[in-house]
Amino acid sequence: MKHPTSTHSFGKVAFWSILLSILLLIVMSLSITLGAASIDFIVVWKVVLSKIPIVQNWVSVDWKESTETIIWDIRLPRVILGALVGAALSLAGAIYQGVLRNPLADPFILGVSSGASFGAALVMAFGWQIAWLGKFTLPFVAFLAGLASLMIVYYLATVERKMRVETLILSGVVIQAFLGACLSLIMALSNEQLQTIVFWMMGSLTLTDWSYTQVVFPVISIAVVIAYFFSRDLNMLGLGEEAAHHSGVSVQRSRIIMLVLASLITGAAVSVSGAIGFVGLVIPHIIRLIFGADYRMIIPLSVIGGAIFLVGADAFARTVMQPRELPLGIITAFLGAPFFAYLLRRARRGYF
Amino acid sequence: MLSIQQVTKKIEDKSLLDNVSFDVPKGSSIGLIGPNGAGKSTLMKLISAYEKPTGGSITFHGQDVQHWNVKKLAQRIAVLTQEGLAAYPIKVFDAILLGRYPHLGFFQRESKKDYELVEEVLAFTSLTDLKDQFLDTLSGGERQRVAIAKAMVQQPELLLLDEPTTFLDIGHQLNILRLVKEWQRKDNLTVIMVMHDLNLASQFCEELILMSEGKVVRSGSNEEIIDSDLLKNVYHTTPEIIRHPKSNVPQILLGHF
Repeated sequence: MKHPTSTHSFGKVAFWSILLSILLLIVMSLSITLGAASIDFIVVWKVVLSKIPIVQNWVSVDWKESTETIIWDIRLPRVILGALVGAALSLAGAIYQGVLRNPLADPFILGVSSGASFGAALVMAFGWQIAWLGKFTLPFVAFLAGLASLMIVYYLATVERKMRVETLILSGVVIQAFLGACLSLIMALSNEQLQTIVFWMMGSLTLTDWSYTQVVFPVISIAVVIAYFFSRDLNMLGLGEEAAHHSGVSVQRSRIIMLVLASLITGAAVSVSGAIGFVGLVIPHIIRLIFGADYRMIIPLSVIGGAIFLVGADAFARTVMQPRELPLGIITAFLGAPFFAYLLRRARRGYF
Repeated sequence: MLSIQQVTKKIEDKSLLDNVSFDVPKGSSIGLIGPNGAGKSTLMKLISAYEKPTGGSITFHGQDVQHWNVKKLAQRIAVLTQEGLAAYPIKVFDAILLGRYPHLGFFQRESKKDYELVEEVLAFTSLTDLKDQFLDTLSGGERQRVAIAKAMVQQPELLLLDEPTTFLDIGHQLNILRLVKEWQRKDNLTVIMVMHDLNLASQFCEELILMSEGKVVRSGSNEEIIDSDLLKNVYHTTPEIIRHPKSNVPQILLGHF
């Protein structure tokens, strides 16, 4: 039974989540149909359903094997990874904006992506390969470097076991600047690998197969669930740090848990796809402008919205200048910036 | 219920509070008054365990507030500051509902009882018509009323008010204080209030504690504290003391130019 006095109902979150999820499925399947070999929308669904136990009995195979390979082995893993990365970056952005109480916060503000980019550039420039990691060497090193830079930022910002938000943001800026210089140095010194590094930094989903998805999926799903349970704490922090303390929030603890969580998922996303900008900044803002700042709405809807946005952007990146593929980061900025500008002009209120 | 014993607070070498002691019995309403920098707000932050004292102790129900679990303490002590709530765009209803935070487990959702309590408090604070408005569209006075409502659903036994009426016009000042008074009568609430306005403090509080430079100068009834010579020493201005024509409590008039 829906309670009559509640202004916020679970039903409202559920309604919009389901609606956006359906939209996500449509965008994902459309994205799979696009490409050098054009594939029918219905066939996409048939192939996917034929992979699910029990359901597969009702699907008759009436497509070529090569079509199945394109859908199942090439395009689907890429689209799913795109959805996961978009969801992760958007969630991380929503959390950073809430905890740091700063509208300019994005997943890269605390230097995670700078660290990861630096790590990835090292791997690419020197052609490192760790035997037992194989193709996971690059994401693994990128992830570790991202975490390392995050730890330095936390260390710089912590005075007498208390972490101040302003200092944290400044430390992030310092580390970003320093690592940016290191990165430029590597790029200046590496001739043949320069283009690979530049493309990686602009973000791309080209290096994907199912194995990456299997690693990233559990990390991000768990993070979404944890973040949802913290939505009340995030709302409290929005009302002010002191007000939150007086209402029983362990401010320091909630804050550090949320920041570490956001940083972990940013690291996971960046390590497989490069630093794709704008998703984490723009999607949570769009959700906030449309639905208000209640984190019980923002968290689920940012996750799904980020996935939709990145899958759509990737479809653009793959097809708009066929057969050349554009870096994803360029597309996200091209699509995101004007839409965001439009919303800002239209919005009646400030929100921080 | 609350006992403040030899509390000192220093930041580096600067002393903000120096050996402050007093007891707060249940159901009382105590006003902290004194000039800027007297240490009133600092003391409030120590009572609510937002900051730590350098020396001495503040015990609430026999246990040092520093050792209380933050959430457990918030079930019993609510605080209203002069800034109140940030202009954060969530609905009035949801902002007030957040006051239930200390009573809810981490995985627990708000129950029907919580919603009913919010409705009740909305009516009490005359906010029912505003419940679907976003917090950032309200005026300062309205937002402060939301802050009181949020403190009410917290169902504390002790309410700390740190200059709750500073940014409000006289109409809204009285409105807020009336609400607190009614609430106090209804639930036998204990109130400690920092006030700059000596006339309102004199009307509202049973006991006044006059502070200056981190020390308690004197505490007592309004008859004892609202005294021309005493106030002159602390505020370095000589007020005229008169009687309020309706309630007969002492009131001050400021000196002339």
